[in-house]
Amino acid sequence: MHLLCAASVAGCDPRSRNGSGGSVVTFSGSALGTEGAVVRRQIARFMAQHPGLRVEIQPTPDDATQRHQLYVQWLNAHAGAPDILQLDVVWTPEFAAAGWIRALDRFAAPRDSFFPATVEANVWAGKLFAIPWFVDVGLLYRRTDLTPHAPTSMAELVQLAREGTIAPNGARYGIVWQGARYEGLVTVFLEYLGGFGGRIMTDDGRVVVDSPEAIRALTYMRDAIYGSRIAPQEVLTWHEEEARFAFQNGSAVFMRNWPYAYSLLATARDSRVAGKFAVAPMPAAPEGRPTAALGGAQLALNAYSRVPDSAYAVIAYLTAPAQMLERAEVVGQFPTRPALYDDPRLTSALDVPPADARRAIESATPRPVIPIWTQLSELLQIQLHRSLARQTSPDDALQTAARQMNALIERTRVRELMAGTVRADR
Amino acid sequence: MRQQHSTEDPRQAWAYVTPALAIVLLVALFPLAWTVWESLHQHDLRMPWLGRPFVGLANYGEILRDPRFWGALAHTAFFAVTSIALELVFGLFLALALNESFRGRGLVRAAVLIPWAIPTVVAALLWRFMFDSQAGIANAVLVRAGVLDEPIVWFIRAATAWVPVILADVWKTTPFVALLLLAGLQNIDRSLYEAAATDGAGPWWQLRHITLPLLAPAMLVVLIFRTLDAFRVFDLVYVLTGGGPGTSTEPISIYAFNAMLQNLEFGYGAALSVVIFLMTFGLAVLYIKGLRADLGGGR
Repeated sequence: MHLLCAASVAGCDPRSRNGSGGSVVTFSGSALGTEGAVVRRQIARFMAQHPGLRVEIQPTPDDATQRHQLYVQWLNAHAGAPDILQLDVVWTPEFAAAGWIRALDRFAAPRDSFFPATVEANVWAGKLFAIPWFVDVGLLYRRTDLTPHAPTSMAELVQLAREGTIAPNGARYGIVWQGARYEGLVTVFLEYLGGFGGRIMTDDGRVVVDSPEAIRALTYMRDAIYGSRIAPQEVLTWHEEEARFAFQNGSAVFMRNWPYAYSLLATARDSRVAGKFAVAPMPAAPEGRPTAALGGAQLALNAYSRVPDSAYAVIAYLTAPAQMLERAEVVGQFPTRPALYDDPRLTSALDVPPADARRAIESATPRPVIPIWTQLSELLQIQLHRSLARQTSPDDALQTAARQMNALIERTRVRELMAGTVRADR
Repeated sequence: MRQQHSTEDPRQAWAYVTPALAIVLLVALFPLAWTVWESLHQHDLRMPWLGRPFVGLANYGEILRDPRFWGALAHTAFFAVTSIALELVFGLFLALALNESFRGRGLVRAAVLIPWAIPTVVAALLWRFMFDSQAGIANAVLVRAGVLDEPIVWFIRAATAWVPVILADVWKTTPFVALLLLAGLQNIDRSLYEAAATDGAGPWWQLRHITLPLLAPAMLVVLIFRTLDAFRVFDLVYVLTGGGPGTSTEPISIYAFNAMLQNLEFGYGAALSVVIFLMTFGLAVLYIKGLRADLGGGR
């Protein structure tokens, strides 16, 4: 591990630049473009208010997988910097179980100021390990000129999609989503799964992704491609951007995507749908409930940090209401504090009507809060993709996925870890 | 001078080679030994609560029972056999053509090498655009020619996803094969053809009984280079299909990369790397033996 440490330049030598005598806090996260500009501005303000503290920004890759690898390598080497980590919503249990991030309860972090789902995703063994920074949530975009209203059931979604394609000036595709083999496909599946009343795991950590509800959900997604043909086969190679391009060109009646697409669709110069679209939560079948996948970023405190108190002060500042409003205004990210949704400043800051955003966030479901989620998700992704490409039936695919996922949970002793009988090796 | 050298202390000779030996040890043998040692442990960077217990050959046992590994091996073999067969055939045609004398031959010989000079990732992206379902030129041409009724989505079926992968590799590597074969062709004694022609043998007879047998050593060299390359194929597949749909075009190198660098399963990933190393090594030994026998027997 020390070889990796030497290679990652800044990772292992946290305090050498500390010449002035005050303490230095290193912040790491997305530091590109306007997002980076906002963070730099906010950190400059923080430093002006705290003269003894210096905060340095350590840029990390914007690509989530790459940032994850980097963090895991640094933390395995017990690197004390960066002190503040920007975590994807599914990483918190992994990092907490590994002992890499510090529980925040001793700082009296205000749990009830945040959306319950965002808190739930950041709680491990009863303790809060990261502060929700901004929230991402799956939205159903629809063309207002091709659909009279948002669908209220899964059946109506198919019907409206089909009508939107055969209407005069209708769009080419009924619905587009993210179907390539990556985490995005699992978030899309999660929404259909909830809509049909299924779930991925039970509360005691058993995978039940082969339930009849789950098979119905996957069959529905498959029928959208090969049965009703409202979704093009291309979705199986698409990520967020390909879907957005199709919708932005006016080629789709519905699109499942994250909030970032909203301001691009509304303001991009080449957008053909500006002023002609709206968002709604995903519909549900009678036996399920509307479900949106929960994404977003959290700020966590490196367990090996030598300046935890100063670092927490930075986290608290960045996640304070004023800073969240500023982020919403500049980069369109949804705040994690429900109280802000009644604030008139948010209405002018966000392109999405705050009431719509809030409705979607309240139907948001975190992915299972389990340390080995990424590995479980990979097993699921492969089977979902195989079935959607018609290499296996939905039953076979989901039974295989459930069997493999349960075996992995067994082998990695995660359940004992969750029950507290195995302690993370620090 | 000479006398001084022969009485020189052998320790001085050692001193001269030590830096080179140290570098080989440090950059080749040490990492290899470390990987083998790592492969005998259960070590997952993302699950520190499991520690890093010594598990003997358990990782290797798991590889043998892992259907994804066997699938990846089959994909690699399929890719190697198909692409190398096509490259040999096209490469031979190209080499025969380039061996004839015609005006501007030097220029054509240089131009043929262009695909080979393009970085693989760039070439792969190029082919990905060509096989893109909506705007791709492949669909446009095939539909216009009446081969397809409507555009197809190449990357969502295993059978069609292989097409751009193999084509891209053949396009890129045939020039290299042709170049090696051309060198072989130029070693064949012209007088053999003249003698055959005076005896009334036609071009087909000459090709079968003179060119091909005498080209065998060059072909073997091509096979060695290409099999070892095809066995380690990574960038082309990574860019074109990512191993999908599902895992149906995933070669072993991508599987090992996934285990080691995406999932940070160091123990299992190391075991996979060792297996790949052993297989490549075995292939190389086989070929070298074959090459020796062939060159020796040919004399």
